[in-house]
Amino acid sequence: MNVQVVYCNHQTADLDLRERLAFPSDDHVVRAYDELRARFPKSEYVVISTCNRIELYTAQEDPDDTPTHDDLAQFFSDFHQVPKTEFFNDLLERQGPAAVRHLFEVASSIDSMVLGETQIVNQIKTAYELSMETAACGPLTNALFQRAMEVSKRVRSETKLSEGRVSIASVAVGDFGKSIFDRFDDKTVLILGAGEMASETLTYLKGEGVKRIIVCNRNFPRAEKLAAEFSGEAYAWEQLDHWLPQADVIVSTTGADRPILGVEEFKAIRKKSGPKPVFILDLGAPRDIHPDVSDLDDGIFLYDIDDLEATCVKNRKLRASAIAKANAIIEAETKKFMHEIYHKATGPIIKRLREHWHEISRQELELLFRKVPELDDAQREAVEKTISRVVNKLLHPPLETLRDEARTGPPTGMLETLKRLFHIKD
Amino acid sequence: MQFTNVTIFCFFASYFCALILELTQFLKVSKVVRWSSFALAFAGFVAQTIYLVERSRHSDLPPLLGSTHDWLLVSAWLSIVFYLGAKVWDQSLSIGLFVLPVVLLLIGASRFVSDQPNPRVTIAYWWTMVHASFWVLGILGVILAFVMSLMYLLQHYRLKHKKAPLPALRMLSLERLSRMNWWLIVSSVPLLTLGMVTGLWMSYLRAGSAEPVDLAQLDFVMFALVWVGMTFLFGWLLVSRKATGRLVAWRTILACAFLLVTILAIEFLSADTIHGPEKQTPQASMNHQVASNHFGAIS
Repeated sequence: MNVQVVYCNHQTADLDLRERLAFPSDDHVVRAYDELRARFPKSEYVVISTCNRIELYTAQEDPDDTPTHDDLAQFFSDFHQVPKTEFFNDLLERQGPAAVRHLFEVASSIDSMVLGETQIVNQIKTAYELSMETAACGPLTNALFQRAMEVSKRVRSETKLSEGRVSIASVAVGDFGKSIFDRFDDKTVLILGAGEMASETLTYLKGEGVKRIIVCNRNFPRAEKLAAEFSGEAYAWEQLDHWLPQADVIVSTTGADRPILGVEEFKAIRKKSGPKPVFILDLGAPRDIHPDVSDLDDGIFLYDIDDLEATCVKNRKLRASAIAKANAIIEAETKKFMHEIYHKATGPIIKRLREHWHEISRQELELLFRKVPELDDAQREAVEKTISRVVNKLLHPPLETLRDEARTGPPTGMLETLKRLFHIKD
Repeated sequence: MQFTNVTIFCFFASYFCALILELTQFLKVSKVVRWSSFALAFAGFVAQTIYLVERSRHSDLPPLLGSTHDWLLVSAWLSIVFYLGAKVWDQSLSIGLFVLPVVLLLIGASRFVSDQPNPRVTIAYWWTMVHASFWVLGILGVILAFVMSLMYLLQHYRLKHKKAPLPALRMLSLERLSRMNWWLIVSSVPLLTLGMVTGLWMSYLRAGSAEPVDLAQLDFVMFALVWVGMTFLFGWLLVSRKATGRLVAWRTILACAFLLVTILAIEFLSADTIHGPEKQTPQASMNHQVASNHFGAIS
């Protein structure tokens, strides 16, 4: 059994590269699963693609079926039409306990730009559900991802990792937005996109007192749904030009694969809006707004995901003790998970060995009871119990040794020995 | 306790130490140090109040009418009142980093200007009081506008360059700084204007007295130029529709720096013949006062 991950995230690759390797929609992910199945049919897969990370988890019953780092890089290269040389060094690989630990760190938001954020848990959950729907995952990845959710919950409840500002939106609005605007109740907030990110951003902005919310989305029913949830107004995407000059805060979270607002479009918007300050939060990956828009005039304050990194580093320092505690939990959970996985691998052998020995004892007992028919029921029961105890005691040392072996790694050699010694067949 | 033993050095040192403690926040943010800084500034404020009251008692004139030395100290005192008020409102605000240097500059400058009362005060006592009040409040507004503009530019730089906020440098939002700056300019320029008008009215009143005011002097021309400059800024602020906060902050800083430098230069060069007699610094006057055993302990 093996678990593997290849990934690039905000620590290893810049936003430009992440944008090129991202799977911006469910359709992309489903196509990726089809492609992966065709290339590596004996593996299970889960793809996590967010604005901060692109991660591909694979798992195999037989470690020999594990694709190499280069194989998976080639898949990324072919799928996204990006030369492998441009990203190979930024695409890291982990296997076995290191891969499990990595997922637990990601789910616990230790690896997030904003330490303690909760959004990543939902993103992992969504990715895992999509993998289940498309039958890309299997028993190993099921166990892994379900455990990751449990670890995440444990880390959040037993440490102070989630205290204070915990989401990208809250850091952006708390550290930048509130330094621009004194109050939000007289501001017009324009949301472009209607996904989970938009919803979370709105939750935070609502908490700051925002009253007027405009939601524009290409999928109008989704815009209506989001607007209704936050007492806002939904408008068709075609009305964007009307609302952009009126907005004081623009939050863009669309899944577009190229910028939806360039410099020229924004120049026209500023002509209409005048020099008033406008706070723009581009939370899309790929970016929705061209970065040069920031240089148009003094009143434009544009931030994308990477811009939040400095604040995140600061939060990370403040929460150093919480991180140490979280790491200890993750380390213990990783060991426990690996032990369970290895132990699970021994399960069928143990079951067969036990059944085999008990079957032999049952046959011998039947012979005995035929030879000694005068034994009453109570006596027969006592003999059966004695024989069963003897079998269990004889089985105990090899099984205990097998269990010990499984604590440190897959007990492949021991399993083979047992199979040969006791003639156990697959 | 001898209140007459309170000297300029007492409160200058207090404010200076308060500023140093504010600066140490950049090394390590500490609530204890922050409160200590506030306590030192408050101690300085008490000492300065005692000093001004003592000066006023001995000269038998309100501090505003005492001398250039006194009104510079009154301006510093009012700035400290603003600083203490802001700190009580929000302890974490780094306002001291901006206000305390200006206060130290004003106190330092007061050491080198005339501390002799204006002999013309008695001619139109109440008009002089009104004139000095408008002038000092106007200058206070200018000082605070200067401080707000500095904060605005720093905050704007941080936000434009997408830098994380420093825990030791907590500033108000751009929106609030911009609004405060606008109000400070819009209120200080009319105050300065009223100061000019009352000054002209007093010169008219004194025209027939033994101590007439000659308006054809460099100092009057300089004051008038500063006032014209500030009035232009005021007018531009009111009518401009394309004024960005950053532009306003830059213009305010330039105008305020020009005003403060002009006023201090006039006083240092003893060119101010309207508001006082020939320059006599507190050091010089101390010798005179020690001799007369009248006000021996002020410096």
